[in-house]
Amino acid sequence: MGFEKFGQSGYLSQTKVTPLISYLEKGVVVGTRCKNCRKLYFPPRADCPDCRKSEVEWVPIDGKAKLITFTQVYFAPPAFEQSTPYILGLAELDHGLRVFAPISRDIDLKELKPDLELVLKPKQAGEGVFYQLEKPA
Amino acid sequence: MARVAIVGVGHSKFGKRSDASLRELAFEAYSDALDDAEIESSSIDGSVVCSATHYDKQRSPAGVVAEYLGLNPKPTFNVEAACASSAVGLRTAWSLISSGLHKAMAVVGVQKMTELPSRDIQELMGRAGDVMWESPFGTTMPAYYAMYATAHMARYGTTEEDMAAVTVKNRKYGTKNTKAMFQKPVSIEDVLKSRPVSTPLKLFDCCANADGAACLLVANATKARKITDRPVWVAGLGLASSPMALAGRHGPMTSFEVTKNAAKSAYEMARVKPSDIDVAEVHDSFSITEILNYEDLGFARPGRGMKLLKDEETALGGKIPVNIDGGLISKGHPVGATGASQVTSVVQQLRKEAGDVQVDGAKIGLAQNIGGIGMYAAVSILKA
Repeated sequence: MGFEKFGQSGYLSQTKVTPLISYLEKGVVVGTRCKNCRKLYFPPRADCPDCRKSEVEWVPIDGKAKLITFTQVYFAPPAFEQSTPYILGLAELDHGLRVFAPISRDIDLKELKPDLELVLKPKQAGEGVFYQLEKPA
Repeated sequence: MARVAIVGVGHSKFGKRSDASLRELAFEAYSDALDDAEIESSSIDGSVVCSATHYDKQRSPAGVVAEYLGLNPKPTFNVEAACASSAVGLRTAWSLISSGLHKAMAVVGVQKMTELPSRDIQELMGRAGDVMWESPFGTTMPAYYAMYATAHMARYGTTEEDMAAVTVKNRKYGTKNTKAMFQKPVSIEDVLKSRPVSTPLKLFDCCANADGAACLLVANATKARKITDRPVWVAGLGLASSPMALAGRHGPMTSFEVTKNAAKSAYEMARVKPSDIDVAEVHDSFSITEILNYEDLGFARPGRGMKLLKDEETALGGKIPVNIDGGLISKGHPVGATGASQVTSVVQQLRKEAGDVQVDGAKIGLAQNIGGIGMYAAVSILKA
């Protein structure tokens, strides 16, 4: 239990990576690293499919992000209707990792283009906790 | 390799079918296919029922469909691969027939979508993505494809007008298809003025949820020759998978690796190349998807999809006519039925029974079906 807090409206509650929630609440974005082969996973995974080991450690993820693509959603699932329009983005992080995340409401659609530098930061809203793409400081 | 043929095809009217239940839609397509093959159920030794079952009120619909078609006690089961369910159903039947376990099977693609209240549909659409990592941010089916559109526009200069031209082309051919949900043409202006769904996609860039069924009767070579003198041979089948999470995919998001991988397998198995294809049905769930499909299937070089369209090479009379049955954009998209519907149109072309939209001398046809947000893709190549 506990993972239902992930996102603006979560669907799942039970997973081995629930500790992500408390890291995000403390203001840190984390992934997991396989203790055996050292492969880094973000979003975090409890299991490494490469070496089939399930011992992972939590590691902070550098938030430096470069936008790959985005869309502004007008027609939304029921739980999100009150928030439309909102922007979702896909961005590249270090080490070839990618993140799918909402883009901060402080950023206008017109400002967005592929390759734009952004930063991935933890965010709390209502009961939910997640990460979002924001303007660099 | 044992040869497998399609010996009959059937198709219900697609659209808002408030007159018919799931099993009745399946019956329309199945009965149509039996008529087409001029056989009775006694010639069929099993059924593969294909639907994205989360839309169905009936759990495990193969049970009632096989019963209603009069196919008990022969084997039946469901195949689900979201929007690619019945293309995967064809692959399943091919394998069962090639193995010798079956001689002739009915692949029944069916979906009943409009009975669900629109809020339920919206809720289901919200879970089309990875429910652990992406759906909690309010993803939708159009949003995912819209992100590919944004990337393709930025990298290659594809415009909203180019995408609108896909809808205009397909809706033009939809006017000739009496089974299509929409049979009226639209203009570029109509598409551009339609309401935003997920930028840059607008309402008329999107296919519509629909009810409907399509059926393929598939048989081994011996049986096929007994049934018909116009078998259409399954020459190549490709199926591939891709991470469901967008963040798990690679590259600049201007193409679907999953389609490229499925196409490579299908071309190799059929021993043909993209330029050998005479007619194609591709997955135009959204206008942008058709442009990406041209490139991913090798009909156009990367970034040149819109040029192929503008040069009218994908129109009737062009080098490679695409979706000249109207595509999903005209026919509607009863998820589980779509793959079989595409194959039905290709079969009709190869048999020279496509009427107003017949491609002269069509001998090799291709159908490409994407599942969900691109986690599955199936490419089927057929030969007359």
